[in-house]
Amino acid sequence: MSGTTYLRRCAQCLLPETYETIEYDEAGVCNVCRSSAYKRQGIDWDERKRLLDQLIEKHRGKADYDCIVPFSGGKDSTFQLYFLVREYKLKPLVVRFNHGFMRQGIQENNQRTFKKLGVDVLEFTPNWHVVKRLMLESFTRKTDFCWHCHTGIYSYPLRVALMYKVPLIFWGEPQAEITNYYDYLNDEIEYEDDKKFNMLRTLGITAEDMYGMVNTPENPIDRRDLIPYTFPDVKELRALRYCSVPLGSFIPWDYTKNTEIIKRELGWQTDELEGVPDEVNQHGEKIECFMQGTRDYIKFLKRGYSRVAQINAFHVRAGRMTPEEATRLNEQFDGRKPPSLEVFLEYVGLTEEEFKKIVGPMVIPPHVPDFENIRMAEKTWDFDQWYREDNRQKP
Amino acid sequence: MLKKRVIPVLLLRDGRMVKGVEFQNYRDTGNPRTAVRIYSAQDADELVFLDIQATLESRSALVEIVREASTECFMPLAAGGGIKTIEDVRELLSAGADKVVVTTAAVTTPRLVTEIAERYGAQCVVAGIDFRTSAKGTKVWIRCGTEPTDIDPVAHAKQLVALGAGELFLNAIHRDGRMQGYELDMATRVASSVPVPVIVSGGAGHFMHLAELLRDTPASAAACASLFHFGDNNPIRARSYLRNLGIPMRVLK
Amino acid sequence: MIGIIDYGLGNLASVRNAFEHLGHEARLYAKPGEAVVCDRLVLPGVGSFHAGMLALEARGWAEALPDLVAENRPLLGICLGMQLLFDIGEENGPSRGLGLIPGMVVRLAPAEPHKVPHVGWNALPQMQRHPLLDGIRPHVDFYFVHSYHCIPASQDDAIAFCDFGGPFVAAAARGNIAGMQFHPEKSQPAGMRILENFVAWDGRC
Repeated sequence: MSGTTYLRRCAQCLLPETYETIEYDEAGVCNVCRSSAYKRQGIDWDERKRLLDQLIEKHRGKADYDCIVPFSGGKDSTFQLYFLVREYKLKPLVVRFNHGFMRQGIQENNQRTFKKLGVDVLEFTPNWHVVKRLMLESFTRKTDFCWHCHTGIYSYPLRVALMYKVPLIFWGEPQAEITNYYDYLNDEIEYEDDKKFNMLRTLGITAEDMYGMVNTPENPIDRRDLIPYTFPDVKELRALRYCSVPLGSFIPWDYTKNTEIIKRELGWQTDELEGVPDEVNQHGEKIECFMQGTRDYIKFLKRGYSRVAQINAFHVRAGRMTPEEATRLNEQFDGRKPPSLEVFLEYVGLTEEEFKKIVGPMVIPPHVPDFENIRMAEKTWDFDQWYREDNRQKP
Repeated sequence: MLKKRVIPVLLLRDGRMVKGVEFQNYRDTGNPRTAVRIYSAQDADELVFLDIQATLESRSALVEIVREASTECFMPLAAGGGIKTIEDVRELLSAGADKVVVTTAAVTTPRLVTEIAERYGAQCVVAGIDFRTSAKGTKVWIRCGTEPTDIDPVAHAKQLVALGAGELFLNAIHRDGRMQGYELDMATRVASSVPVPVIVSGGAGHFMHLAELLRDTPASAAACASLFHFGDNNPIRARSYLRNLGIPMRVLK
Repeated sequence: MIGIIDYGLGNLASVRNAFEHLGHEARLYAKPGEAVVCDRLVLPGVGSFHAGMLALEARGWAEALPDLVAENRPLLGICLGMQLLFDIGEENGPSRGLGLIPGMVVRLAPAEPHKVPHVGWNALPQMQRHPLLDGIRPHVDFYFVHSYHCIPASQDDAIAFCDFGGPFVAAAARGNIAGMQFHPEKSQPAGMRILENFVAWDGRC
C-alpha cells in the first residue's frame, strides 16, 4: 500500500487525516471514534425511543401511508423497513431511486423483502442519457461521479412525500456514524432536510447549478431533465409539516446486529463487494451498486484509504477487531484497482490517461497516490451481467 | 483567540457564478442563489460577492443576490465590483451586505475609501488590491485585471489603510485559477506592513495551500473560489483539515 | 413584539430576518412613540459612536429609551448598539452615550501582532451565568467586527469576556439592559441560541 504510511491516523480506528471532517484530539483519537463512544455511553436511547413512539403515533393512519421509507435494498434500508413494518406495524410507501447500477443480488433481496413484509413500492429510474452527462460533469469537477445518485436519493422521496401528502419520512443510518458533519455529542436529531441536503448531499452543486454547467449550445439539455435531482420547495414541505429523520437518531444504529436480523427474518443475503474480502464485509456493506468499487478506488487515489479501511474502522470501533488486525488487512487488501473502472470509463467516454489527469490535481495532500504500482481486485461473480456501453472515441 | 477565516468568493457574471484563470476563460460554476444556500448550510465563515462585469445591469443583479442572501442566510457578507460612489455603497449595505469591496475606485478615486469609512465605519470598507508579477516587476492592476498601473502593492496597501480601509483583499492575478498555491511572499509583505487584517486571494487549489497561507504568513483569512468549485472540498472539511495542522479555526458547536 | 430600533445605522434587516427565521415577530421602529407596543427592544448598529448618538438623538430615541427600559422592557444592544448603552465613547473625541450601563468605550489596543479592527470568529472563554448565555459553550465562536470595546464601570455588569491580545468585555448586562459586542444574527447556530435566549428573557439576571 505505497505512499500512505506517512499519513497521520487515528490511534484507534486508523482513519487517516485525509478523511473528510476527521480531527484528532490530544490522545490522537479521532472525533468519529469519540462520537461513537458517546453514542454508546452518553445518549439516552430510552428517551429517544419514546420520541420515536410519539412521532409514529402522531402520524399513524393520518395519510394514505403512515410514512415514506426511502429504500435502496442495502442492509440499512432493508433493516429500517423491516423495523418499521414488523415492530411498529406501519403502512409505509417504499420509495426507490434507481441510480442505474443495481446488482442482481440486490434485486433478488428486494423481491424477497417486499413480498415477505407486504408493502407498496414505487421505483423511479432517471433518464440514462442524462445520467451519463451528469456523471461526467460531476466527476470532472469533483472526482465524484455519483452526483445524480446522491441528489436523486435524497430529494426524490421528498417529492413523493409531497405528491402523496405523507409528511413522515424515515431514513436509516445517521451521518454521525460515518463522519463529523454531525456528531452524537451534540445530542441532536439529524433532520434529513434542505440544510443537510445542501451541506453534504449535493457536493456543492445543486440541480440549478448543474443545469447551467451541462447545458451548452453544442449539447443542450432540457431544464426538466434536472427535476429528479432537485430538492423540492421548502415552503411546500413546511406546509406539509414534513418530518424527515433517520431511524438511527432514535435507536442506536448497529450494522452487524441489523444485518443479522434481516438475514434471519427476511432471508437477506450479502454479496461480494469489489475489492473487499468477504471476511471483512460479512455484514454486507455497499453491495447495492456495481460502481462501488470504482468509487472506492477513486477515494483511494485521492485520500489514501478505501472501503476495506473504512469497514475495518467500524469493526475496530465496535471492538470486533484490533487496530493491529485492521492494519494487517488494510495493507493487504485496501485500495485495489477494480474491474468496474473500465465499465465507468466506457460510460463516460474517458481513457485511463484522461481519468488520471482529472483525479491527479484533486488529491488531498499530504497524500501522494501511486497510479502505477497498483494491484487488481477480483471480478465479482456478477461482473458479466453489468450493463456495458462504450462511449469512448473509436481511433 | 481570533480564528483564521476561509472565505469563499462568488464571482458573478450574467446572473451566474463563474470562475476563470487569470481573470479569463470563465467557466460556469453555478447559480449564485443556490450557492449561497449551500455555503450557508456549510456555515462558511464569510462570503464575498464580486460583480466582474460592473455594468448597471450587473450591479442590480448583485444587489438582488445580496438582498436574497441576507434574507435566507445569517452570515457575514461582503460585496463589490465596480463600486464608484457612496450611493453604490449605501445600496449594497441596505441590501444586507456587511462590507463592501472597493478595488478600482480605491486607485481612481481614493477619497471614496475615506468617505465610506467616515460614513459607515472602517470595518465596512475592504480595499481590494489586484496585482500581477511580470518582467516589469510587481504592480497593481485595475478594472478587473485589464489596466496596469505603476503602483507598488505594498505602498498601495499602506496608503489604503491611511485612507481608512478596515481590511485589505489582496489578490494575485497571475495565480488566480491556477490552483498552484497563493502568492505567499507578497501576502507576508503586505500583511506585515499594515495594522489591519489582510484577506489573501488567488491560487488556492487544495487545503495545504490554505495551511501554508494561514500558518506561515500573517494573513488573517484565505479567500478561495476554484478550490470549492473544482475540487472535492467544502468549508467544513477545510476547517477540520486546518485544525489538524494546529491552525485555529471557527468552532460552531 | 420585538422592536428593532431603526436609527439609520446598521444592518437592521439581518437582525429582523434572524428573529423571523426563529419564528418570532419583529418590526423596525423609526419612532420611539410606536415602540411602546413592544415587549422587548433591540438596538443594532454599525458605524461610529458619535454618528450613532447623533442619529439616536435626532429621532428621539436618546430621550425615550430610558423610559422605555424603565418599564422593564429587555433591551439588547448589538455591536455599536452595545457601545451606545454606555456613558462615554472616545471615538473622534469623547461623546456622551445613552448612559444606561455605567462605563466607557475605548479603542481596542491589543498586544502585537493583533490587528484592529477585530474581525472574524472568536469565542467567550469566560462567562458568568446569565439567562442570555444559557446553553452557550465557552469554545464556540461568534462573529466580531469592531474597533472599539466597552469597559463597564462595574465588574458585575461584564457577563462575558473574549480574548484578543488580552481580554475585553464581549457581553454586558445590567438589570434588563444587555449588550453583545459580537453579531448573534451573523453567528449561526450559537448566535441564534442567544437570540432565542433574549426572546425568553424576563429582564432579570
